[in-house]
Amino acid sequence: MTNGKIEKVAVIGAGVMGAGIAAQVANAGVPVLLLDIVPAGAAEGGDRSAIARTAIERLKKTDPAPLMSEKAARLIEPGNIDDDLARIGECDWIVEAVIERLDIKQALYAKIEAARRPDAAVSSNTSTIPLHDLVAGLPETFRLNFLITHFFNPPRYMRLLEVVAGADTDPAQAARVSRFADERLGKSIVRCKDSPGFIANRLGVYWIQAGVVEAIDLGLAIEDADAVMGRPFGIPKTGVFGLADLVGLDLMPHINASLAKSLPPADAFHALNRDLPLIGRMIAEGYTGRKGKGGFYRLNTANGGRVKESIDLATGAYRPSARADTETLKEAGRDLRALFNAPGPVGEYAWRVMGRTLAYAAGLVPEAADDIVAIDDAMRLGYNWKEGPFALIDRVGAAWLVERLKAEGATVPPLLEQIGDRKFYRVENGRLQFFGLDGDYHDVVRPEGVILLEDIRRRSQPVLKNGAASLWDIGDGVACFEITTRGNSLDDQVLDALDRTIKLVARDYKALVIYNEGRHFSVGANLGLALFAANIAAWGEIEKLVATGQKVYGALKHAPFPVVGAPSGMALGGGCELLLHSDAVQAHAETYAGLVECGVGLVPAWGGCKELLVRWSAPGKLPHGPMPAPAKVFEMVSTATVSKSAAEARDMLILREGDRVTMNRDRLLADAKARALELVEGYTPPERVEIVLPGPSGKLAMMMAAQGFHKRGIATDHDLVVADGLADVLSGGDADPTVPAAEKDVLRLERETFMRLARTPGTLARIEHMLLTGKPLRN
Amino acid sequence: MQVYKAPLRDMRFVLHELHGSAELTALEGQGELSADLIDDVLEQAANFTETVLLPLNASGDLEGCHYENGVVRTPQGFRQAYDAFREAGWNAAASDPAYGGQGLPASVYKLVEEMICSSNLSFGLYPGLTHGAYLALRSHGSQELKDAWLPKMVEGRWSGTMCLTEPHCGTDLGLLRTRAIPQGDGSYSITGSKIFISAGEHDLTENIVHLVLARLPDAPKGIKGISLFLVPKFLQDADGNPGPRNGVSCSGIEHKMGIKASATCQINFDAAKGWLIGEPHKGMRAMFTMMNSERVSVGTQGLGVAEAAYQAAVAYARERLQGRSLAGAKYPDRPADPIIVHPDVRRMLMTARAYTEGCRALCGWVARALDEHELSPDQQIRTAAEDRVALMTPIVKALFTDLGFEVANLAVQTYGGHGYIREHGVEQYVRDARIAQIYEGTNGVQALDLVGRKMSSNFGRPLRSFFHPVLAFIDANLEDEALADFIGPLAKSFGTLQQATAHIAANGLRDPEEAGAAATDYLRLFGLVALGYMWARMAKIAVGKRETAGADAAFYEAKLVTARFYMERLLPQTGALWSAIRSGKASTMALGEDRF
Repeated sequence: MTNGKIEKVAVIGAGVMGAGIAAQVANAGVPVLLLDIVPAGAAEGGDRSAIARTAIERLKKTDPAPLMSEKAARLIEPGNIDDDLARIGECDWIVEAVIERLDIKQALYAKIEAARRPDAAVSSNTSTIPLHDLVAGLPETFRLNFLITHFFNPPRYMRLLEVVAGADTDPAQAARVSRFADERLGKSIVRCKDSPGFIANRLGVYWIQAGVVEAIDLGLAIEDADAVMGRPFGIPKTGVFGLADLVGLDLMPHINASLAKSLPPADAFHALNRDLPLIGRMIAEGYTGRKGKGGFYRLNTANGGRVKESIDLATGAYRPSARADTETLKEAGRDLRALFNAPGPVGEYAWRVMGRTLAYAAGLVPEAADDIVAIDDAMRLGYNWKEGPFALIDRVGAAWLVERLKAEGATVPPLLEQIGDRKFYRVENGRLQFFGLDGDYHDVVRPEGVILLEDIRRRSQPVLKNGAASLWDIGDGVACFEITTRGNSLDDQVLDALDRTIKLVARDYKALVIYNEGRHFSVGANLGLALFAANIAAWGEIEKLVATGQKVYGALKHAPFPVVGAPSGMALGGGCELLLHSDAVQAHAETYAGLVECGVGLVPAWGGCKELLVRWSAPGKLPHGPMPAPAKVFEMVSTATVSKSAAEARDMLILREGDRVTMNRDRLLADAKARALELVEGYTPPERVEIVLPGPSGKLAMMMAAQGFHKRGIATDHDLVVADGLADVLSGGDADPTVPAAEKDVLRLERETFMRLARTPGTLARIEHMLLTGKPLRN
Repeated sequence: MQVYKAPLRDMRFVLHELHGSAELTALEGQGELSADLIDDVLEQAANFTETVLLPLNASGDLEGCHYENGVVRTPQGFRQAYDAFREAGWNAAASDPAYGGQGLPASVYKLVEEMICSSNLSFGLYPGLTHGAYLALRSHGSQELKDAWLPKMVEGRWSGTMCLTEPHCGTDLGLLRTRAIPQGDGSYSITGSKIFISAGEHDLTENIVHLVLARLPDAPKGIKGISLFLVPKFLQDADGNPGPRNGVSCSGIEHKMGIKASATCQINFDAAKGWLIGEPHKGMRAMFTMMNSERVSVGTQGLGVAEAAYQAAVAYARERLQGRSLAGAKYPDRPADPIIVHPDVRRMLMTARAYTEGCRALCGWVARALDEHELSPDQQIRTAAEDRVALMTPIVKALFTDLGFEVANLAVQTYGGHGYIREHGVEQYVRDARIAQIYEGTNGVQALDLVGRKMSSNFGRPLRSFFHPVLAFIDANLEDEALADFIGPLAKSFGTLQQATAHIAANGLRDPEEAGAAATDYLRLFGLVALGYMWARMAKIAVGKRETAGADAAFYEAKLVTARFYMERLLPQTGALWSAIRSGKASTMALGEDRF
């Protein structure tokens, strides 16, 4: 059944990509068979699956972690092609991720064809070999079930999956794999044509090559080049050279050569693809990027120092990195046309690299993609650009771009001629539309079941709004609370909006979802405001903010309607406490949640200590008695533990039984809404509970542990001060272990301890350091 | 005839009783310092300023400086006074012993400076500028430059200047054009014109060491492309004595409203030989070292003039007989009562007194931070002290000079028509005080520095160095009924300052013009609360001591009365300032430029 469920997967090839793909399949809770060759010279009785087994061990140690949980690791079963290939018969999807050699791949396909189930899908993770070459000479039954699924590195974190279906591929099989990759692996599918480099790398490699070559030709320092090619275009600040260091310099010549070989002779890439002796020399000397001794940038640790150095493109020698010259960038601001027109090498570089990349992108439709949306999606999801090339062209103006290209005698892609002075994207009746090859505008269609706040924002007005948050009607009686501050940090305005939201939802809606489409759900309270208030000794204001937060979060928990928290990215401090006061959590798999207040010298004081105590005190979680729960919470909170995935957040009881995980970021809101609606029927708000707390003897035990860490040099002096405060709260202060404490008693302790710590110089220094450097101060 | 007696009793109070001089001995190199030694220094300074400098104040104002053929002559008597000043060791008093200085802490020396400014502001500028140049060179110059130039500057044989302003650029130094071309031997050739250079040329010293801001050939545009150079009037010969004349000349002096005995020069650099101080393009940083210290010194000028004007006003109010007390004749045997009996004259005298003594106390608090920043062995104390200096510098500069001018004006008003004529020398204080509100960064620029840089730096950390000690003091004394009349108003105005600070921080972030429109009012509000803090602390000491002070009881009684006057009659201005700040920029910015 080519439309049946995919319940087991095989990945063949346990290199970085193959192992990474296997890990992501396991992260989805799907068992996966990871096969590689038998190591050459495997001794008699030795481990014939050593390569796959080693790869799995490596997965457990890699940072950032390819695996979301220990449980996921156990879902990957190692094997080898010689002994275990027959077992792919157990699998619904077989992913090939072996070396990029046609002969080897085809030989493997022949074996796969013999062993696979007739309905199993087979796909290749190739990045360079066209599909029609891969299937050449293979039987029709194979071609029918074969497609290319091109993952990006690292497979867990890069959201792009390029899918290429061949002329003979059964559309149902392609749809089946795509649906699984979308819903279970969390990938956004971009359908590509069977053309060289597909979309993202075709354009990305052109852009990087242009970036390197033009910097050399213009004599631009790499810091300056990366400053231009980064932020102004909404591209990660690594720009071109920083990205090359990440990808690995040694890959560049291979990728370039393979692309050049398969591109038509008229392709603009050939003009850029010249041999760069500097890069050849760097590779030869081991300067292959971050995985090697360094790349275009390196950290020079000679003589005990830590000096960031950059390569001089002219001399090939390293020199201390300089702050980029951003005068031109500042003058241009967000005006890309002004940047392209700016006199001097910076403006010239911007034009030669990005102006031409945009033109090149316009030439890829319809050759590499059916529409412009696919190209923009590929660059956003595969290269982390904020906007794709066509959205960038809209910012510059297509007509202007054409004029400038003509002025320098460059070829103008037909699509650019066709669009004239119109835009590639427009909003019509609240719907986002794109310019099609037929010259008409078409709605941008989201995959089935996807709800995006981005779309809701286009076609409706918020029900409630202030400078820090909005409330949206997302249909079926469900409202969505969206924080809109920087980093979605929390301040008095967010609390005020939430307070009004609770009253409004109680009156007009059935349920509430807390969700936003920022990179992070919430980085926690706005520490800048808090520190300023502390610096001017406005203690009353800070105390008010703490008390208000407790009140509003309490009201949220006990509101007469169900609340679903739907985090993605970081949910720290007060952001995590929002989840702890929700009835249910529908978490994106990439959720990094934790109470991190101790890191800045404070304690959670918007009910976070209270909620975790309640959760860990629930029967069945830990051994009986008043001590285990506070001790467990103390261990987590005093070390500012943050989950590295939603699965880990579950281990911390930030997610509870019944809370669910969404793999695809784009499906989070729809899932959260569905969960909220499930809870509506017969909903009753949670009751306030009493907690048995250990009192002074419990505090003593916690502090002995902390002092142990201090003696061993793991905990700092101020850690002890903070731990003392936290132990006060978690032990219940002078609580009597025979008399249960009320929630409000713990809340009072949270407030008092928070205010006490906020006044210490050590805490103020921690907050300041965090704000200025983004790193914790270990004082 | 100008009158001036150094207010030694109040100075000792500020130094020993309010801020505690014993703690000074804990600072590096200050182990020998004792209260006796300090009092001795202060008495000598009092004697010198009263007998040598004061008599030259009015005559110097009348005569002014003379310019002829590139040569500047100071008024009669200045040369001799300067020699006496140098021989007495005053030039070297506050400088590093490593270069021949005596290493007096700022806590002591700022009081000496005040006396100099009270007795003869113009004179004080010559050694004052030298000290500023000394500071910049000592902090940023190479060892070679320091060894070659500092000892003679410390001794006072050579003087210093700071050459920033050019005809087309004052506040906005990013526009400056003076060029510096490397000569390949480590020296530079400096060419350009500078104006408004205090002590740029004169006949008091053997050589003049100019610190000059200029651009290197490869300099970036604007403020980030400015470097600092040392350019002497005479190059040194082989023995380190003044040798050949350098390409530095004076093309004229300014004719000014006040400080007429201070030579304000136009200086031309014509391929003059100079040396780089600090790193290329980092001249502003080096200059700011000097500027921070100079700005506190300019604040002291305001304080010094205020003290002299106050004393003049008191003397006149006692002797001038006009009208009768509203409460009935106080001196029936005389043809009229002295005007000191009249409430409105009292208002002026009390205002002058409360401001002057308050500023002296605050100056002592900041001077202590200067000392701790420089000399404390404890890194945390040094950092906190640096924050306090940074925060309080614009306040001391602008508040003290504004109040100095205000007090000088009150003195003229007390004299009536006799203040407006030259004979009594009171109008000179108004004219002399006026410049201090302008130079070293206008008071408007100081206010912008406070709301722009100081308030936003490190999320307001410098503010902590003021707000935390003040609140701690309020909390510690809230219950003390004897202090209720002082702590109450302080607490209220402190709350207002907190509100205003939060308001400006929030609104200024959204719209920098909001902060700009509020800046001057905010600085005054801040300054008044800071003086309130000083007055409350002084009142606490006075309350504790007046019972047992014996003959000194009158001093503490006067302190308490003045403190009460400050709290009741001056501090309430904070309420009006807060109202003005809260109204925002709208009415300030609404009128179209073409409507003016």
